[in-house]
Amino acid sequence: MKNKNNGVWIGVDQLQNDPSYLETNKNEFTELPVVDTLSKQGAMDTEASRRDFLKYLGFGLGAATLAASCEIPVKRAVPYVVKPDEIVPGVATYYASSFVQGGDYCPVLVKTREGRPIKIEGNTLSNITKGGTSARAQASVLSLYDTNRLDGPYRVKEGKIQRSADRNERGPSWEEIDGEIMGKLTAGSSIRIVANTIMSPTTKKAIEDFKAAYPNTEVVMYDPVSSSAILEANEASFGQAVIPAYHFDKADVIVSFDADFLGTWISPTEFANQYATNRRIKKVKGAKMSRHIQVESHMSLTGSNADNRIMVKPSEQGAAIVALYNAVAAKTGGARVSGPNLEGATAGKIQKVADELVSNRGKSLVVSGSNNKGEQILINAINNMLGNYGSTLDFNAASMQRQGMDKPVQDLVKAMSAGRVDALFVMDGANPAFDLPNASQFREAASKVGLKVSFSMVPNETVALCDYITPTHHYLESWGDVEPKRGHYSLIQPTIAPIFNTVGRPGSRQTEESLLRWAKYDMMSVMGGSSTDSVAVTAKSNPYYEKSKEDVGAFIFNYMKKHWQENLFPKQSGFATFKMFWDSVLHDGVFVAEDTAEASAFAGDVNAAARMVRKPSNAELEISLFETVNMGGGVYSNNPWLLEMPDPVNRCTWGNYLAIPVGWDGGNEFTSFMGLNPDESKGKADIVDVTVNGTAQRCTVVRQFGQMQGTLAIALGYGRTETGMLGRAIGNNVGVDVFPWTSYDENGNVQYYATVDSVSEKVAEEDRFACVQYHHSMGLTGEDPETGEEINVDEKTVMTIGEGFQGGLVNRSIIYQGSLSELEDLSHHIEEKRTEAQKLNSHTLYPYDEYKEQVYDQGHHWSMHIDLNACIGCGACQVACIAENNVPVVGKTEVARHHEMTWLRIDRYFYGDYENPNVVYQPMMCQHCDNAPCENVCPVAATNHSSEGLNQMTYNRCIGTRYCANNCPYKVRRFNWLDYTTADLFGANEYDLNGEEAIPFGADNLTRMVLNPDVTVRSRGVIEKCSFCVQRIQEGKLTAKREQRKLRDQDVKTACQTACPTGAIVFGDDNDKEGILAERLENPLNYLVLEEINTQSAVRYQARVNNKNEELDA
Amino acid sequence: MTYKQLISRVLFLLAMAVFALPAMAQEEGDGGGAVNIDEGKTLFRNYCATCHNKNMKDDLTGPALGGVEERWADYPQEDLYKWIRQSQAMINEGHPRAVELWEDWKPTVMNNFLNLSDSEIDNILAYIEAVYTGADKKNVAGGEAAVAVVEEKPNNTPLFIALAVILAILAVVLARIVSNLNYMLQVREGNSDARRTSLVEILTSKGLIAFVIFALVVLGGYTTVNNAIMLGRQQGYAPEQPIKFSHQTHAGIQKIDCQYCHDGARRSKHSVIPAANTCMNCHRAIKVGSQYGTAELTKIYASIGYDPSSDTYLDNYEEMNQDDIEKVYKKWIADTYVKENGSIDSKGEELIEEQWEGIVSSLTNPHKKKIQGPIEWVRIHNLPDHVYFNHAQHVTVGQLECQTCHGPMEEWEVAKQHSPLSMGWCINCHRQTEVQFDDNEYYKSYTRYHEEIASGEREKVTVEDIGGLECQKCHY
Repeated sequence: MKNKNNGVWIGVDQLQNDPSYLETNKNEFTELPVVDTLSKQGAMDTEASRRDFLKYLGFGLGAATLAASCEIPVKRAVPYVVKPDEIVPGVATYYASSFVQGGDYCPVLVKTREGRPIKIEGNTLSNITKGGTSARAQASVLSLYDTNRLDGPYRVKEGKIQRSADRNERGPSWEEIDGEIMGKLTAGSSIRIVANTIMSPTTKKAIEDFKAAYPNTEVVMYDPVSSSAILEANEASFGQAVIPAYHFDKADVIVSFDADFLGTWISPTEFANQYATNRRIKKVKGAKMSRHIQVESHMSLTGSNADNRIMVKPSEQGAAIVALYNAVAAKTGGARVSGPNLEGATAGKIQKVADELVSNRGKSLVVSGSNNKGEQILINAINNMLGNYGSTLDFNAASMQRQGMDKPVQDLVKAMSAGRVDALFVMDGANPAFDLPNASQFREAASKVGLKVSFSMVPNETVALCDYITPTHHYLESWGDVEPKRGHYSLIQPTIAPIFNTVGRPGSRQTEESLLRWAKYDMMSVMGGSSTDSVAVTAKSNPYYEKSKEDVGAFIFNYMKKHWQENLFPKQSGFATFKMFWDSVLHDGVFVAEDTAEASAFAGDVNAAARMVRKPSNAELEISLFETVNMGGGVYSNNPWLLEMPDPVNRCTWGNYLAIPVGWDGGNEFTSFMGLNPDESKGKADIVDVTVNGTAQRCTVVRQFGQMQGTLAIALGYGRTETGMLGRAIGNNVGVDVFPWTSYDENGNVQYYATVDSVSEKVAEEDRFACVQYHHSMGLTGEDPETGEEINVDEKTVMTIGEGFQGGLVNRSIIYQGSLSELEDLSHHIEEKRTEAQKLNSHTLYPYDEYKEQVYDQGHHWSMHIDLNACIGCGACQVACIAENNVPVVGKTEVARHHEMTWLRIDRYFYGDYENPNVVYQPMMCQHCDNAPCENVCPVAATNHSSEGLNQMTYNRCIGTRYCANNCPYKVRRFNWLDYTTADLFGANEYDLNGEEAIPFGADNLTRMVLNPDVTVRSRGVIEKCSFCVQRIQEGKLTAKREQRKLRDQDVKTACQTACPTGAIVFGDDNDKEGILAERLENPLNYLVLEEINTQSAVRYQARVNNKNEELDA
Repeated sequence: MTYKQLISRVLFLLAMAVFALPAMAQEEGDGGGAVNIDEGKTLFRNYCATCHNKNMKDDLTGPALGGVEERWADYPQEDLYKWIRQSQAMINEGHPRAVELWEDWKPTVMNNFLNLSDSEIDNILAYIEAVYTGADKKNVAGGEAAVAVVEEKPNNTPLFIALAVILAILAVVLARIVSNLNYMLQVREGNSDARRTSLVEILTSKGLIAFVIFALVVLGGYTTVNNAIMLGRQQGYAPEQPIKFSHQTHAGIQKIDCQYCHDGARRSKHSVIPAANTCMNCHRAIKVGSQYGTAELTKIYASIGYDPSSDTYLDNYEEMNQDDIEKVYKKWIADTYVKENGSIDSKGEELIEEQWEGIVSSLTNPHKKKIQGPIEWVRIHNLPDHVYFNHAQHVTVGQLECQTCHGPMEEWEVAKQHSPLSMGWCINCHRQTEVQFDDNEYYKSYTRYHEEIASGEREKVTVEDIGGLECQKCHY
């Protein structure tokens, strides 16, 4: 079934030309969901009479008069008592720190305003991420202001945290709780510390010091989505239980077996950066890029970026790896191993993959996300045979980002049930009561443990089992260090005083300090003799210094510093004194030690390994369970920014959805698994009951191109039941928990696939299907059901009136894509189309060239370039935009009503094979057209053009006619249907936080601390959209003016640009003929989206190029 | 005829009203003649007031100055001048009066004031004499009254009201004339039913009512729109502040640069209200104010936790309870009172109590129960949330004087909002203000303007020309 589609498509409905799909898409603002929901709530039931109208009129008039005659409220200006030198109110201060959550790591710069962190930027000094960030790192600043965070230690009884309903009442003090916990510990207590990967040398040292007092202590490290098989395999192959350092930038051929290395696997930000460097097209002649082949069943973010995808069932992964091993061995003179056989066409494809790999020996890389020890040993062996060790992967700076092992945690559960554990300490982030395959056993066993303490910042399923919760600081309040790779260190420094310690509460306390206090560690041993500490000297003359120093953890600070002085300072030679070294590392945030390389020869037993690989099952239906970019293993599930961020691949928000395959009959008909979800574009999705491992779950279904027939897939990490306090826990019961569907294999490693027992018929319909795929779609063509002609879906009305006037625009330019082998054709094609468009545009009545000459060619003319080849669709830019621009979170119901507010969306388009397509991700934001259709139609000139080429949106002028949004061909304007930010509320009407009433997200003062004070918080009834981060433009210009110099290239960077891990987005001044933007603008693959409609947009896209091996597609 | 008389009377009234205005405005001109004393006052405040009590009767750091000339009358006037300029030199020389003073006041040393001229010292002495004898009171009061007249803008409202009344009377008179003429015409034409329209009929005629309604609608609309635009604006707003901080004393008399305290103005969007520790830079030395003595300055000390008696910051101030704090500052106020007045009398006790209550009420409010912590000033300049304003852009880049927008703050005892801070006001300034185009390398990117200036086509570049009127310069 060879099915090439030259164009791009977004979903089934569009391909099938469903008439109702055309109908729903012709309007910018779809109406039916709004009315439906409102009428359900009874809000629309009553009809207003004339009498009512008069009543409201009278009331309104009276209220207005009353409000108008009120005096202006007295506002206070509260200065500092002692102003810290480094803070100038109104000027942002940046601190180098590191985002760490379990094994997730990102070196960051924290932007603070008036002492509160408001934005995360990448740290460009890091040679691991090189300034890139991830969506998770971007969103982490919001969890600092999570209203669910605990304001002190509490006792937990029967699953309930023992805190008074009266919020003004202080909880128990640390001394009280410390005393109770220490009273239950004896020197001989058998203690287990359960944690996700610990990358901090200081934490590890603190645990060692704790062990000195309690020798029967053991650390059990596990990861919710485990890589323990890789560790075991490397132990077996090389004697080192670590994850090697991968160099995707050095590989010309990348083969990945189910490893989502761009999205979630080990160190995605780092890998994405490496990956993109080798896939950039700078010139047409002699262009080179790596070839990426993904072997998987479910389309992962990485798979969607691959040049070729080979679809195998989850249970066939092992067979595929054995087949590849044997094929490579045959070519390199190695011995075959016997393992499960791969059948059919796939075997031939694997053979071709082997050919590719062998012809690129030493410049190829094979990775696998499998958690099967045998498979990982074979992968090591393949890389070894290909001579990749030492070039595309090595152990020099081996990754420490996954250290969790699956076996010890099972042993722990056994020991707990046997009553052999006296005390259980659970570190922040770890949630074994939720994310273990045998979580239910863990929950049962927990009752047999005498003392259970959780260090979690927020309530979770495990906290509910504990006796005490002793919350740790958020990383933005902590001192800490990280060793993400051997010899690579970075520091975590506090950027705000611990929030809950400053309001007369006991507050949080860092885990390390709690442990050491319980171990009766001599704390003064690190505090004394700190003569280098200038803070201590100043403290004498001013009481406030002492105070603040204590707040940010003077003990941990000194403890860590001592550790660095003794252990890390000797590892470098650049600095003569420790103080200089320390100051430098604190400033830079990162430090690379002079370390010796460690290499060892491959010594794995491949035959034994081949016996260990998973056996293909004969089951009709298999399901793969995977981690998503936004939710991880569930630890991020109380973060609304991440909850509302659409999953890049299935474009769904607020939940996990069961991906079902789409089939094609060879004509114009598409089938989906069991005929489910025929009406996705109308916001309707079916709900089915799926039974796996005897556990049934009710899942909402989404049709997924690229999902292998006979397989299903669903994301892990959803369905949390305890994410916070009642009424405030946004992440409670979002999606379904599928961790019970995971299982242990014979080696004790967690397996993320299963055979499906049964799938029921449709049992219900999702009434809030929050999939944004069909929202704000642009420029798509389809067949008019009435005339049979091909038309523009979103301009049907216009065309009916204009009698095909716009017919010439049917073939719209939104995505250009081609293959590397036909790059010149692609370049000619783009050139032709652009010439044609420019010819059309030359007939305009508006003298654009004149404007350009008179206005835009001096000063600045802002412009952006987006390289679609570098964009992997990870969504970091989207969250960064939300953080920078105070974009509200609207919630699932509102998303389902097409009301998501994001200024930047990432459109996903498919092309190629219907059943195994390639994907293009296109970040789409306001294009800042110089000839903007939105501007002409605004009756109040609330949106207009600046002399610097910005399409300006003035909220205080906007009256909400929404004409602009209707007229925007790119569909990037968003309307505030409701008061999402609660900006309209009078102070006195604010929702009561004391009661346990559900409050709208962001209505409380704590969450509002995350707002960027330079950007207006929009209220109801106005349109908003991307402003090209005008606040950053103005700031950059002002700095240049103050320094009396020209604005340099890259002085102004937009939030999306700085967030991008691959550098796909570049912003700058068109009039600046030097610099990165100028260089990018010369690329022959550049095009403007919808250039033919003469909007003169300011965003240039560079076409997507794939390096497909056509033979593999056959 | 009676009509004629009426008209002439009306005209007369009108003329009177017109002439009344210049007559009212005439009354400015010569103010008080005591120029010397005024200058003396300024000099005294600048140089002497930090150590000498300004009531001239009580001792402070230095002796009370009232009657100083009498005490020095035995010596030549030059000796007094020299004493004021260089006291230590005179003591060393062994001048008897100088030595006598040194014995009384050592080890306190009087500062040198070499820059003061004889005439300036004379002025200071004249001022001291005037205050001591109470002669300045009347004089100063008179002077201030004179100034007040000058500052007052001529108010035209009475004139307009007078005019309106006159015009209304005129209209009525004319209407009567017309009705009379009509009546006479009808009588002449032999219409026996003819009668004069009464005044009531004229006033209740449809035309007049329509006109009045029309006028009311126009006036009402005009007032509504104007007031609606003015909503939220507070030009002239001068609220009472927790501390009676005087810009006049600091910026006017002491000539402290605005940006010494408002140090954000050059580098930030906010000009920044100075933190209490900025006050401490000077007020660790100057502990008694020239106007309010200990009343206001102690509030700063109580905010930051500084004990002026021992010149130390209090340990663990944040945790101190109000009674302990009360003891510290009451002691300070009492000590200062004793220093000035010799001993605590009932008046002194009252003063101590009063000042302490002042401290408590200024530093606490329903949301802030503790005395410790920041001073909550009343914010005067409030821009709506959707307006972005940056001080650095205007102060550092535009090199505007603070006074351009904030008015002569250095002349005011109480800070107030000088400008309307309306969008029209901003825009107007952006239209008129010339950009310092040549000095700043940044503006090089405006190539065409530079060419035009070079070729003489363009005289200047205003803020408007480089996009200063565009929405997203201030709204984003």
